Amino acid sequence: MKSNKAIIVDHVDKDFKMYYDRANTLKEKLLFFSKKNKSKDKLLHILKDINLTIDKGESVALIGVNGSGKSTLLKMMTKIIYPNKGKITVNGKLTSLLELGAGFHPDFSGRENIYFNSSIFGLTKKEIEKRIDQIIEFSELQDFIDNPVRTYSSGMYMRLAFSVAINVDADILLIDEILAVGDQHFQEKCFNKLKELKKEGKTIVIVTHSLNSVKEFCDRAVWLYDGKIRMDGNVDKVISEYEKVCG
Amino acid sequence: MNIFKELYQYRELLKTNVKKEIRGKYKGSWLGVLWTFLNPLLQLLVYSFVFPYILRVEVEHYTIFMMVALVPWTFFTTAIQIGASSIIGEAGIIKKVYFPREIIPISVVISALVNFLITCIIMFLFILISGVGFTPYVLLFPVIVLIQTIFTLGFTFILSAVTVYVQDIAHFVSIVIMLMFYATPIVYNGELLPAKFQWIITLNPMAQVINAYRDILFYHKTPDYNGIAILALISLAILFVGYEIFKKLKRNFVEEL
Repeated sequence: MKSNKAIIVDHVDKDFKMYYDRANTLKEKLLFFSKKNKSKDKLLHILKDINLTIDKGESVALIGVNGSGKSTLLKMMTKIIYPNKGKITVNGKLTSLLELGAGFHPDFSGRENIYFNSSIFGLTKKEIEKRIDQIIEFSELQDFIDNPVRTYSSGMYMRLAFSVAINVDADILLIDEILAVGDQHFQEKCFNKLKELKKEGKTIVIVTHSLNSVKEFCDRAVWLYDGKIRMDGNVDKVISEYEKVCG
Repeated sequence: MNIFKELYQYRELLKTNVKKEIRGKYKGSWLGVLWTFLNPLLQLLVYSFVFPYILRVEVEHYTIFMMVALVPWTFFTTAIQIGASSIIGEAGIIKKVYFPREIIPISVVISALVNFLITCIIMFLFILISGVGFTPYVLLFPVIVLIQTIFTLGFTFILSAVTVYVQDIAHFVSIVIMLMFYATPIVYNGELLPAKFQWIITLNPMAQVINAYRDILFYHKTPDYNGIAILALISLAILFVGYEIFKKLKRNFVEEL
């Protein structure tokens, strides 16, 4: 094992089928087996032969216009979807902040939801108990933590979700446009937490359109364009080039 | 094996899922979890009236005769039926977070097993009160339960994964279960079946299991040890094949859902 590599993306290809009119049931599958609809199904080639190596402790931004395959790449790193070709190797515990609050139950209290949500991230009861005070403190929801989550405002909801995800204590963090959590104060807090994690040597991969925060936070940027890596390197260089083309 | 390590790491998720499965289903109903046991018991009440008194099936202690078959049957069918739509039911979370997908069908089977074991306490009380009683053969009971759980898990793996691709399977399963109910010696004694139909029982793992339960709990006779050994091997094979199918299909769950 190459121990200083956190993520290795090796010749990865990804297609998506776009169904014109998707047959979901057996009846539809049999009735509409004709080629007519099939020919209208399109194969979208989202990622084309991507090679990318991210070292441990690096913080990398994935940038690019909508539909360039950034989120798809991130989803494949978390193993939610799998590549058609090629291989992705991940060394270390990985947490994704792709969808915050996945698995929250509106009828249960904030505290109970911390347990549910953390268990989805693969924490054991002991590990959750060790962190719970830290999570509650970070979310600043002390007064509401035993109220059902359905009574929360959307900002409170996101704060709780972010606090759980950020405290999972993973080696690798994948983040998709999360810097829009809560108010100014909480955003800054999240940002400081991320910086702290970076200092601790965590590997961080961010997908974002907010180039300023990227410049401030990341060392390296990878520019995806039309399913290929257009540029990869120092964050300032890549962004200035990106702004020239897309700005 | 990697999967065992992963499941161990995610054991808290498995535990909360099982709890949700057991308690969540009847949330908001007055009798709550009691429904889990009332369902088979009421069914039993109806059958033990219909078959001896209307259809004139003549078996001594008919209620017990049926109960030792119906209770394990309910375990099998709940697991299969809930399991078939379990992955689709969790689509929301599967699309968002990575966790070992195996957790979903496994927690369905475990919660069905827990319900089954609790119903067994009631069943054992019935056996005691009715005067049928116990013999040392009852010690084999856990072995049979284990075998049944293994192949039930295998079938649940297959059905939960295939249903993602062809959603009709869930409806198809309900019909097959209804037919299987009569193709399995639950309300009748399998030996009464004419020789030319015996293959139905030979090929049906549930029939084998139910015969074994009945031998040790009702007839108090030595069960067919060879048959049980073969069944154990077949069950392991079903689990293995089921898991392999699941492993193949799980890669594309998110895109199909």
